[in-house]
Amino acid sequence: MLKYFILVSIIPVLVVGAAGQVVAEVAPEIQLGARGVMSLNTDIINDQVTNAVSDYSDTDLMVGFRQKMYNRFRGQLVIGFQFPDAESDLGQVFFHQTFIKIEDQFNILKMGRSRVKTTLFDFPTLRDDDALLLTTVLNPFSDGQNSEDHQYGNVLEYTHLFGQRYQLQFHAEHFRKVPEIPGAAETDFGLNALGFVLQYRVPETQRWNRSLIQSVSIGSNNFVTNRQGFSSEYDQALKNFLFGFVVNLKPDPVHFWDLRSQTIYNTGFAELRGIEKFSDLARAEAIGNYTSIRYLYRKMERPTLQVALSGGYKNFPNTIQPTELFQVASNLFYRIGQNFDVGLQVQYKGFSGDLKRMYGDDMMRIQFSLIYSIDQSWNNQFDDRESLLNLEHGYIP
Amino acid sequence: MDRRRFLKTGVSISAASLFPASLLTPEALAAVPESFPKPMTPTLDGDVKEFQISVDIHQQEIVPGFKFHTLAFNNRIPGPEIRVTRGDKIRVVFKNETELNHTIHWHGMYVPWRMDGVPYVTQMPVMPGKTFVYEFVAEPYGTHFYHCHWGTLLHMQAGMYGSFIIEDPDDPIRKQFNYEREYTLIYSAHDVNFIRKELNTMLDRMKERMYLMKQGRFDKERFATFDTKDELVEAVENGYQPPYAINRRSPSELPQPNWFTVNGKSYPMTPNLLIKQGENIRVRLINAGTEEHFLHLHGHDFWLVCDDGVPVPQPWQMNTVRLSPGKTIDIMIEGKNRGIWTFHDHDTRRVTNNGLYPGGNLLALVYEDTPPEEMELNPMAKKMGLNNLPIVALDE
Repeated sequence: MLKYFILVSIIPVLVVGAAGQVVAEVAPEIQLGARGVMSLNTDIINDQVTNAVSDYSDTDLMVGFRQKMYNRFRGQLVIGFQFPDAESDLGQVFFHQTFIKIEDQFNILKMGRSRVKTTLFDFPTLRDDDALLLTTVLNPFSDGQNSEDHQYGNVLEYTHLFGQRYQLQFHAEHFRKVPEIPGAAETDFGLNALGFVLQYRVPETQRWNRSLIQSVSIGSNNFVTNRQGFSSEYDQALKNFLFGFVVNLKPDPVHFWDLRSQTIYNTGFAELRGIEKFSDLARAEAIGNYTSIRYLYRKMERPTLQVALSGGYKNFPNTIQPTELFQVASNLFYRIGQNFDVGLQVQYKGFSGDLKRMYGDDMMRIQFSLIYSIDQSWNNQFDDRESLLNLEHGYIP
Repeated sequence: MDRRRFLKTGVSISAASLFPASLLTPEALAAVPESFPKPMTPTLDGDVKEFQISVDIHQQEIVPGFKFHTLAFNNRIPGPEIRVTRGDKIRVVFKNETELNHTIHWHGMYVPWRMDGVPYVTQMPVMPGKTFVYEFVAEPYGTHFYHCHWGTLLHMQAGMYGSFIIEDPDDPIRKQFNYEREYTLIYSAHDVNFIRKELNTMLDRMKERMYLMKQGRFDKERFATFDTKDELVEAVENGYQPPYAINRRSPSELPQPNWFTVNGKSYPMTPNLLIKQGENIRVRLINAGTEEHFLHLHGHDFWLVCDDGVPVPQPWQMNTVRLSPGKTIDIMIEGKNRGIWTFHDHDTRRVTNNGLYPGGNLLALVYEDTPPEEMELNPMAKKMGLNNLPIVALDE
C-alpha cells in the first residue's frame, strides 16, 4: 500500500513539474547547426560521362538543447536530419542524430542515434562519404545501397577522459541490418557491434601550442554476425582494427599544413575468398590506408582557402583473384563569406579483381560546389569542457 | 507599545530578514575587515613608495554555489587598495601574468599623460608576460580608483579594478565629522556569459597573435591597428574589412549584467558596515561597473561629503544617492538609530542574483551595540528552527 501511495503521489508531481507549470523553468542552451552542400557533379565511369545538375546529399539540420544538471553533470539532447543520396533506400529524409548525452569533466555517456565510431577522424573531403570505402569500417549488415549505414547507428557510448588529452571510449551499436527478405522491415534492434577507441588528442583550442602531434588513436570495431559454420560469438565476430594520427607539418596560424593518415585492418572471414556483393566487401580480409595532406590559409584570423590532396589504397589479400582499390582526390575550398565556401573537387577511383564487377574499371568525379554551414547557440550559460578557460585556468562544472 | 517592544514582535521583518543571524558574533565581527579592500604595504625606494601589482586569470566565487572565470589584480577582486598621502611619489610595477593585453588607468588622478594607461593613446599595451612601470605623484586628495583600460568593457566587469585613496593629514572631512572608522565599497555589474565568451575568444586570438608576434610578423590589418585615421580610411577603400563590418560581425547585443557585486561579492556575501550608537563612519562609494546605482539607506539620512574625491562646499543631506559609472561619492553616516538597516540599490533589478531577488548589492549597516533581545523571533519562527533576526533568506 505504501509503495502504491508513493507511486500515485509522485507521478503527478513529476508530470506537472516537467510541464513547467509549477516549478521554475530552467531554460536550456539552444544550439542550431546546419550545413548545406550543393554540388554539380560530372561522373566519368568506364569512359561514359553523366551529369547531375544538383546533388544536395549530406545537407543536414540539427538542433540541440543543453543544460546543467542538479549535480556536476550536464545533459544534452540533439535531434537532426539529413538528406541522403538519391539512390539510397532511406527515403527523402533520414534522422541521423537523435541522442542524449550526459557528461561531466571526465565522463561522457551518449545514447541514441548518432555517428558511429567507424572512423577515427574526418578527412578533408567535400562530403563525408567521398572516400567511404577507405576511411570507414564498413557495416557488414548493409547491402551497400547507402553510406549512412556505415556512418550512423543506434549507439551506446561511454568515454572516460584521463586528464585533458587521453580518452578511452567503449562503444556498442546497433548497425542497420538490411533484412534478407527484400522489402521486409527491420525488427531486431539489439546491439550487433562493440568496440573501443583509445586516443591522444590535443584540444582544438590549443592547436597553436603544439608543434607536431594533434592526435594519435587506435580503435577496434567488432560486429556480431551470423557467420555460417561457427558457433562461438568470438568466431562469429568480424574484427576491424584502426590506427590513425594527425600531425601538424607547419602549425602556422596563417599558412597551416597538416597531415592525417588512417589504416584499417579487417581480419575478415577466412572462408571468404571472393567478393560478389557488398556484404562480401565488408566481410573479406582487407587492409587499407587513407592519407591527406592539407594546406589552410587563414587571412584576418579566419579560414580563407583550403587545398587538400588525399590518396588511399586497399588490398584484399585473401581473395583468389588479386583485388585492390585505390583512390586519389584533390579539392579546393575558397571562403566567400563567413561559413560560406565555394569548392571544387576531383576524385579518381580505380578497381581491380573482384571489385571490377561491382564498380567497373575506374571512375572519375568532378564536383563544383557551394557550401554553407552554421553553428550557433543561444542562451549560453556555461562553458565547454575544452574551452581555454576550462583547460588552462581550472575547470568549472 | 514602545518602539523597542514593537520591534520585538517581529512585524518589521521584511527589511532586516535578509541578513545572517551571526552578524554580531565575535567571529563575524572579526571577519568584517576581510570583506573590504586591503591596503597594500609599499616598499620604500628613497622617497618613492613602490607597489607591486600583477594580473592573472582567477576563479571568483561571488556567492556560495556560483563561481566564474575572471581577471584579478593580485588574485583578488577588487584589487588591493592603494592608500597613500597626498604628494607621495608613487611607483607601481605592473606585471601582466595573463596571455591578454592590459594597462592600468588611474581614474581621477593627475598623472603625467604617458602614465594614464590608455592603450595606443598614451602607451602601448602591456603584453603577455611583460612589465610596465607607472610613476606619478599622488594628486589630488580623495577617493579614486584604478582599472584596466584595455578591452575596457570586458576587463573592467571581469574584475580589474581597485580603490586608490589619497589621504590628507589635514583632512577636511575628518575635521568636520570627527570619524575614526571608514569603509570602501566598490560596485560592479557583470554579464558572466559575456565575460566567459569574450575571455575565451580573446585568449584564443592572443595565442595566435603571440605566435606571429614572436616571429616578427605583425600585420596592421590582421591586428586592426593603424597609424592614422587616414590610413584606416585608405585601407577600407582598398578592400580591408574592419572587424565591425556587417560581414565580419553581425549586430551583437551589448552585455546584460546578471550579477551585481560590492567588493566582488553579491548578497548574502556582501560586506556589512559596522557602526555604534553615536559614532560617525565614512563610506567611500566607487562605481567601477557599467550600471547606475541608486543607493538607499534605511532609517537614516547621510551626508554626501565628496564627489569624485572633491569635498563638496556644503555637505548634502539625503538618504538615496545616485552613483553613476566612473563616479566616486563619499558619504558620512551618523550612528543615531540603533539596529540593523539595509543599504541597497533602489533600482531593485540590481538587488538580484542571476535574475532572482534578493541578491546583488544588498548589504547592511549594523550597529554593533544592538542588544540581542531586540533580535528575538516570534514563536512561529522559532518553531521553524530559526534562531533570531536577521536571517539569510534567498527566496523571499
